[in-house]
Amino acid sequence: MPIPASNTPAPDTAEAAPEPYAAELVGITKRFGAVLANDGVDLAIAPGEVHAVVGENGAGKTTLVSILYGLHRPDAGHVLRRGVRVRFRSPADAIAHGLGMVHQRFRLFPGLTVAENVVIGAEPVRRTGAIDRAAARRAVAELGERYGLQVDPAARVGDLPVGVRQRVEILKALYRGAEILILDEPTAVLTPGEAERLFSVLRTVTATGASVVLVTHRLAEVLAASDRVTVLRQGRVTGRFRTAETTADELVRAMIGRTVAAAPARHARPADAGPYALEVRDLTVRDPDGVVRLAGVSLGVRPGEIVGVAGVAGSGQRELVDQITGLAAAGHRSGTIRLLGTELTEADTVRRRRALGLAYVPEDRHGRAVAPAMSLAENLVMGDQRARALRGRFGLSAAAVRARARALAERFGVRAASVDAPVATLSGGNMQKAVLARELSRDARVVVVEEPTQGVDVGAQERIHALLAEAAGAGRAILLVSSELGELRALADRVYVLYAGRITAELAREQATEDRIGAAMTGTDPATGRAAEPAAPITGDGEGTP
Amino acid sequence: MTAGIRGARRADAPERPPALRAAWERIVAAPGAAPVLAIAGTLVLTTVVLLAAGVSPAEAYPAIVRGAVGEGNLEYTVANLVPTLGMALAFAIPFRAGEFNLGGDGQLALGGIAAAWLALAVPLPGGLAVAAPLAAAALAGALLAGVAAPLRTRLGIPAIVSTLLLSTPAVAFASYLVRFPLGEQGTGIAQTPPLPEAAHLPALGGSGHVTLAVPLVLALTAAWAYADARTVLGYEVRATGANREFARYGGVAVDRLATATLALGGACAGLVGGLIVLGPPYRFVDGALTAPGHTFTGIAAVLLAAGRPAAVPVTVALLTVLHVGGEGMEREIGVPSSLTQVVEGLVIVLVAAFATLRGLRDRGNGTATAGEVGA
Repeated sequence: MPIPASNTPAPDTAEAAPEPYAAELVGITKRFGAVLANDGVDLAIAPGEVHAVVGENGAGKTTLVSILYGLHRPDAGHVLRRGVRVRFRSPADAIAHGLGMVHQRFRLFPGLTVAENVVIGAEPVRRTGAIDRAAARRAVAELGERYGLQVDPAARVGDLPVGVRQRVEILKALYRGAEILILDEPTAVLTPGEAERLFSVLRTVTATGASVVLVTHRLAEVLAASDRVTVLRQGRVTGRFRTAETTADELVRAMIGRTVAAAPARHARPADAGPYALEVRDLTVRDPDGVVRLAGVSLGVRPGEIVGVAGVAGSGQRELVDQITGLAAAGHRSGTIRLLGTELTEADTVRRRRALGLAYVPEDRHGRAVAPAMSLAENLVMGDQRARALRGRFGLSAAAVRARARALAERFGVRAASVDAPVATLSGGNMQKAVLARELSRDARVVVVEEPTQGVDVGAQERIHALLAEAAGAGRAILLVSSELGELRALADRVYVLYAGRITAELAREQATEDRIGAAMTGTDPATGRAAEPAAPITGDGEGTP
Repeated sequence: MTAGIRGARRADAPERPPALRAAWERIVAAPGAAPVLAIAGTLVLTTVVLLAAGVSPAEAYPAIVRGAVGEGNLEYTVANLVPTLGMALAFAIPFRAGEFNLGGDGQLALGGIAAAWLALAVPLPGGLAVAAPLAAAALAGALLAGVAAPLRTRLGIPAIVSTLLLSTPAVAFASYLVRFPLGEQGTGIAQTPPLPEAAHLPALGGSGHVTLAVPLVLALTAAWAYADARTVLGYEVRATGANREFARYGGVAVDRLATATLALGGACAGLVGGLIVLGPPYRFVDGALTAPGHTFTGIAAVLLAAGRPAAVPVTVALLTVLHVGGEGMEREIGVPSSLTQVVEGLVIVLVAAFATLRGLRDRGNGTATAGEVGA
């Protein structure tokens, strides 16, 4: 996507920084197998700024900051620290150069105290060689005082709520003299109140001249807490903004792109008051930490309808889908889900839900939708391995499995060397068509589809859209979770928009303009232009163990 | 696999010249390359070890071959194949589902003592005198291994850890039983009294080494290979091993399946214990089951075969020949047979290195699978 000229001040000219950047990533390219995670990315971090790196899941944010922190080495491009070229062979090198990182999953020892966790690896020692615990506690208390990160240095980390543990992580980085603090999705585990406190801490940190790199996909935070923003999409920079001069709307556009090319026009179905094939009512989900992931979500899909779910990644889509498909991890849930009239409980296994008439095309292809090392034929069997049609005289008939695979590959246009080739050898588009072939060929009246065209080429996109339209035409109820607004507009009869775990809009096809969806995605009330309250009563006391 | 951390470290590995690297990757990626390369590597390693010990390979190899398949030795080799193949199954069955059973020794010992106890305590008529102790042995092994599954699903203790840690107490428990409640009085040797004649495994052939155990274990191996390739259960097991989340998504009850494969593996190990006890010298002798190291030879064979059912008997045979032949070599040319154990250890290292290289090739696509660990 071309970057609007007004938003791309060339870092060295327009910034006109009198001093060199604290750190600079230049032309970073990083490939993981077939996936191009970063493609010629430039990122410049000025001293004393909070620099937000935003983008959808899989946009390459974490890869980029991992390169900055020495966790990965770039295939091309290099890192500058205060204008000097550096090579980080490991995080230890990066730490020595004044970088610090707070990972999404904390790396703390729950059995040790705060002070012990903070000084670990750099402990103050007495002359006898013993660790000077008193000095450690003093140092941690002082540091906490200076940055407004009050934590009891003697407390055991395992006893602390999540938000406080994060403070310990930040203290750990600061104790090692971090001048560039990288935070990867820091608010994912925080309540809104805790997030507020975190942002004020970040301000204290930058006031000392240090810089903060804030990786997030939550736009409200970007607007509230950052000075500048770099937006990534599919491994490339799609926008650079000064926070004060931009809007949530502009950021969303850069994050999600505009439209997919020439999506098939689908005729809106006539309004139908029939019963829902899939109905979710007042669904509230808390994760084991007590954080509310979904708050009172209600939606319904009628037979023959495609109903879209829009939202910035991490707004609760994954939790919603996992609750419907029965793949949810432990946690607390209330509300009801009805599948073709049957109320689903947590005791209903995935197999039972599938038998009732549910098909599912997951977003995470390699992790969930296929077993990459198994053959195409074997991948196409999954879910139907107990079907009578595939039975031979002794168990699963290899001939029937392969014959069916050939027929499906033919019908759905899956191109592969042979049905015995490992699925890992297929292109992204063909792999996705194979998944659709498997799920749509089942006799399932309800189909949940997540990001069906992510990472596939344009030709496959069209084919996939046509397949979904056809499935709806045949009377199936389709729930389409997508961050591609163009896709939703082309296919969906109605669109629900999720923001921070709640539905902020339900738009009929003709109302679902990019502007309205975009506004709801950022939690902005279209009427007032003000940010809506995020999902409210969250952790209570924030206690719980991860 | 801790893909993140290890992937990160790999990324720091020194770069290889591209042409060499490409050629290597082509070889590694070829289908069936892993077992062939691993077996070739085993023979190269054996040669290196022999040379390092100052033994002429030209002398040692014939001695090994004579020791394994020469006159009068073949029967002994075949008899030795049984426990190793059985222990290979004990590891391989859960391995296909992505679970690691390292507790073979404990399951073996518990199975052996269960068989001995039943045969001594309850005299049974006819075929039952053999069948019932074997069933008890399998049950004991299955229960011990099966414990690992709830430990993992409820408490998050990996099976690889719990099976290994439960093994030593189980061996010690069997040892206690044979020293005190079940021991032969007055001999001062930690062994049970001899089992009643009815409970002896029927011998096939003259020497008594080859018993019913041989066809039994071969049949089990064939049944496993068939189930793995052709049944719904085998498919679900392989899918679980290849990508657990994929199997769960497809409606496979992965936790139950993991429990079942662990229990089945344990049953195989227990059965081997029973077969040893019901064979010559027809009693449970403390330490006699675990001392020959069938458990880890079996694991080495499975890793060498990358878990493929068709390849497992081949690698078991290879290692057994090395083992038994090594003893022949010791007798014939005075080279300690522990050299073959050195080779076995190196094989495991080689296979692990191979898995790491393959992981290096696949890094970043987040699809490390149990199959690849052994590949």
